[in-house]
Amino acid sequence: MTISDNLFENLRLELRRGCLTLAVLAQLRQEHYGYTLRKALAERGLAIDESTLYPLLRRLETQGLLASEWREEDKRNKRFYRLSSDGERIFGQLLEEWQAINTSINSIL
Amino acid sequence: MDLLDRYLQAVKKHLPWKRQDDILAELRANLESQLEDKEAELGRPLTQGEAEEWLRQIGAPMQVAMRYQPQQYLVGPAIFPTYWFVLRLVFLWATVIYVIVSAVQISAARAFSDSFVLEAVLRIPAVLMTAAAWVTLIFAALEFCFTHYPAKFREIAGKASGGNEALGLFSGFSGDWSPAALPAVEEEQNHGKKPRSYAQAVAEVIFGFLFLVWLLLVPKYPFLLLGPGALYLRASPFQLAPVWIQFFWWVVTLNVIQLAWRSIDLGRGAWQQRRIAEQMAIKAFGLIPMGILLAVPDHAYVALKHPALDQAQYGGPLATLNDTIHWGLQIACAIVVLQLAWEIAQMCLKVYRKRVAAAR
Repeated sequence: MTISDNLFENLRLELRRGCLTLAVLAQLRQEHYGYTLRKALAERGLAIDESTLYPLLRRLETQGLLASEWREEDKRNKRFYRLSSDGERIFGQLLEEWQAINTSINSIL
Repeated sequence: MDLLDRYLQAVKKHLPWKRQDDILAELRANLESQLEDKEAELGRPLTQGEAEEWLRQIGAPMQVAMRYQPQQYLVGPAIFPTYWFVLRLVFLWATVIYVIVSAVQISAARAFSDSFVLEAVLRIPAVLMTAAAWVTLIFAALEFCFTHYPAKFREIAGKASGGNEALGLFSGFSGDWSPAALPAVEEEQNHGKKPRSYAQAVAEVIFGFLFLVWLLLVPKYPFLLLGPGALYLRASPFQLAPVWIQFFWWVVTLNVIQLAWRSIDLGRGAWQQRRIAEQMAIKAFGLIPMGILLAVPDHAYVALKHPALDQAQYGGPLATLNDTIHWGLQIACAIVVLQLAWEIAQMCLKVYRKRVAAAR
């Protein structure tokens, strides 16, 4: 990987990091467990590694943005996540911020 | 699936122990669902090679487990600028205090020896490393407080900054610093020249230190200065006059002052400026050892080991050698004096021009 490729990759990851959180919060307006959430995001064009998504869910839950519960489904215990009430409020604010940035970037371009 | 069990077992070893069973159960459920989907798609179980490839894509066990750990810094980016500033200050004062203490110890010793000085100089890196370790330990504790109790930390940092927020060590954390308290713009001293880089300033200090060590080793190991000539000197009928010992210690003192000055500049963060006054002071100080040599009675820089035996044979060449050294010293001294006079004249001219410009 050249220096320029490496630089691009670092900037791309930096750009994606915030967007991924927003996408996860948006998708978790409906309840999901880790694997179906990953599939749902991938189907909408946002593929996320397992090793990124599953710890992210834990982190967002620790921050109080998600609520979770263990439940049996298809004879297997799974941990289901959904937005908490705090998560809904912060998601609304983040969405507004993201739309404002998007509008600004589009007008600059 | 045996391979998945082995994979999860490897991940478990690196998970945070408080939550490892919970995390592992969730990870197992997610990976088993994914595996089921893959096998349903293929209509058969994964082969060993396919399973290996799948797990390889998920990531190395340690790497996967580490993502569940909270982000941790010994000294994080919020505290690092203050840490760096304090570390430089501590390096500076540790050196100053150590030099003073060592000087007192050496002067109090009954039998003075150059090896005392050498030992004291060689102990400096260990002293600095100990100081750095303590500073790092304290800042690691501060980082812990900053991450775990941010509100309380900011409140204490705000009080610690006192009235002078812009200059306070913790002003960056309290957030209410005052731009009015910023120091005045420093006078440009580079005269259009490129400012010295930090790397250059650090290199000057390191090489200055190494040069000092080398210099202190010379009396014990003359070959470091003279090379094979040291053997010749030992075998020859000549020896250096005692005045060179006096000269040597003046040179050592000069280098210690220069090194201390550069270290202070580095510690204060003022390495970018080329300080004319500093250079001139060093040059003026350098005239003292030269003056000592020039004042030697009868120009006796080199003497005979056994004058009674060798005077008749080597007396003539010895006198010529001493006169030549004296002439060389006079020329060198004249050059330094002229250089110094030229620099002083330039500085006076600059001050005069500034006053004239200010008067207009």
